[in-house]
Amino acid sequence: MLPLLLIAPTAIFALAVTVLPLGYTVLASLQEFPLVRPPAFVGLQNYQNLLHDANFRGSLGTTLLFTVSATGIEFVLGLVLALLLKEEFSLQGIIRSTLIIPMVIAPVVVGIIWRLLYNTDAGLFSFVIQSLFGTNLSVLSSTTLALPALILVDIWEWTPFMFLILLAGIQSLPQEPFEAARVDGASPWNIFLHLTLPMLRPVIAVALLIRALDAFTVFDQVFVLTQGGPGTATEVATLMIYKTAFRFSQFGYAASMAIFLLVLVAGFSAGVTRAFKERSV
Amino acid sequence: MALAGAVAAVQSLPGCGRSRSPLQRGRITFGSFADPALDVLKEVLLPEFEKATGIPTEWVEADFSGWLQKALSDGQTKAGSFDIYVLDDLWVPRFAGAGYLANLDEMGFHTDQDFVPTALDLGYWPPKVGLRQPGLDPKAKPALFSLPLISDLQLLFYRNDIYSSGPPASWDEVLEMARQKSDPSKRQYGWVSRGVKGNPVVNSYFVLLHDFGGKIFGEDWKVVFNSPQAIESLEFYLNLLSYAPEGVAEFDSDQEGETLLQGNAFAATMWTGWCGQTDDPTKSRVVGKIDFAVPPKKINQIAKLGLFMAGIAASAPNKAEALEFLRWFSSSPTQLKFARAGGTPFKISAFNDAEARKKSRWLDAIFKALLLGVPSPRTSDWSKIEDILGTELNKALIERGGAKEHLDAAAAEATAFLKSAGYPAG
Repeated sequence: MLPLLLIAPTAIFALAVTVLPLGYTVLASLQEFPLVRPPAFVGLQNYQNLLHDANFRGSLGTTLLFTVSATGIEFVLGLVLALLLKEEFSLQGIIRSTLIIPMVIAPVVVGIIWRLLYNTDAGLFSFVIQSLFGTNLSVLSSTTLALPALILVDIWEWTPFMFLILLAGIQSLPQEPFEAARVDGASPWNIFLHLTLPMLRPVIAVALLIRALDAFTVFDQVFVLTQGGPGTATEVATLMIYKTAFRFSQFGYAASMAIFLLVLVAGFSAGVTRAFKERSV
Repeated sequence: MALAGAVAAVQSLPGCGRSRSPLQRGRITFGSFADPALDVLKEVLLPEFEKATGIPTEWVEADFSGWLQKALSDGQTKAGSFDIYVLDDLWVPRFAGAGYLANLDEMGFHTDQDFVPTALDLGYWPPKVGLRQPGLDPKAKPALFSLPLISDLQLLFYRNDIYSSGPPASWDEVLEMARQKSDPSKRQYGWVSRGVKGNPVVNSYFVLLHDFGGKIFGEDWKVVFNSPQAIESLEFYLNLLSYAPEGVAEFDSDQEGETLLQGNAFAATMWTGWCGQTDDPTKSRVVGKIDFAVPPKKINQIAKLGLFMAGIAASAPNKAEALEFLRWFSSSPTQLKFARAGGTPFKISAFNDAEARKKSRWLDAIFKALLLGVPSPRTSDWSKIEDILGTELNKALIERGGAKEHLDAAAAEATAFLKSAGYPAG
């Protein structure tokens, strides 16, 4: 009895901050809240509508493309930076500190900075293109460039995070296998491929998982930079949920979207974790 | 979870659980979006109200979207965090329809003949004229749920050095002037507009749609914004935008206003909140060169309304004090003071005051435009329709063409949505 009593405050707190809101959202997803009529239970109708909602499917596709591209590029760049900066050298502290600046800026501020950079009339990108090619570049109003532009912002902001985690991982690897490989005449490329990467696998898994989950729920930059436009080119799932709930007041439908996204993200993390565990065995 | 969190967050807002002794007058808590147009009210009128009545006030504000979230959550949970909601007029159907606002008629508020009728009508639910949302009692008498707070609408801002013989009377004149005098190499553009998807581009297009004889809805909520008149109006808009800056499809209000104030555009339809900045040398390079008029005419001549409204929260802990404020603020003498201090009133006598007109030279244009004003359709689902239409308009702007295809696509999607929401649209 005593152990149960001791654990009760934590359990109640955990229930209050996680399970209850989640349960409420599930309940809300089974209802509709028409503003001019009382709320009504609609069963799985919202989920059924979701399956036929081409806009939501489109937003999931955009989110997936954003997540895979941003996380993939951030991983490669982060790894390259970590390998380059793992050794001791002068100015190392300054360079490392400078590299992590984007990560500590609030996402909304990042959005504003890049909105100015992408500005067609006075932005840096437009200026460079104008100087080089004599034509203006409307990055955020181009259906082909807007999403890559958002991915670039995410890469700029979050590559330092990938770099920090991978650097910590590399520096914590035992040195003996590397020394033995060098004595045996292994090339740097072979050492990287057959020692560094396999030994770094758990760290890579964590880094990729954290970044992918974060990228999957991107909102701030999209909200500030494009509002999902031009057209629906950058309409990510979280923005659609936000609009459905708070602009269109379709709270039940928005809740079903949120639950669907939650299941998707939970399934993805379970899959990634299992895949890395199986490979490590 | 975020939705549940939003509801929970309301509990932590200022004013929650306020209590007072029977002798004290309750503090009125205003909840609002941030907007410079509210400055005169906050800085000049509220202190006067406090002095005159002894009722303290508190102003809590957030950005436009953030405030809408907070207000909806407050209304839904009946948290009582606010006494007066400051609302965009297009929110009135949502808030009044959902029962988040107190009925001012039942509270004993009486209107008078000095109100500008088009402004006052926005506060009624169900609407006094026009279509009624399904689910509403067709025989229900319109009741007053909110009052105008700031008369905001879209005026024609035009350069008086370019249009030297006065404001353009017709849209064709605007196009002709743009054609003659635009020079992109010198960053001189005949027109500037908001093109961002959703509300901004719809608001910019709304005036043209109506002026060309088009409408959003026909009888029984039939979507008609793809009618021949509507297609013609969008084709005209796209034509006009070929004399606008590159990238106008990504412009919101800030970039539109900036382009005009920097002297790079000859004309635009903009919210009246920008009027004051045109004469401010710290913000404008064309001080004294911008005049104001009702937007030009084609078949019709209208102005898009977007008034700031004020309603008493149904869950307000200080309803009596809030009502006292609304009575005081909407009285003709206070409206006169408000106009003379630089505010935009909603009473006819205040608009006609010579001193007020001298202080704010745009008041005459606002008054004329107000009388021709058309609001967003009165339905709580307008934001969804606006999003659908705004997305396709934005696509048309990017492609600089395809007016019929995009309006047809928007009409089909809007019709499907309306049907699913119980409208008789067909």
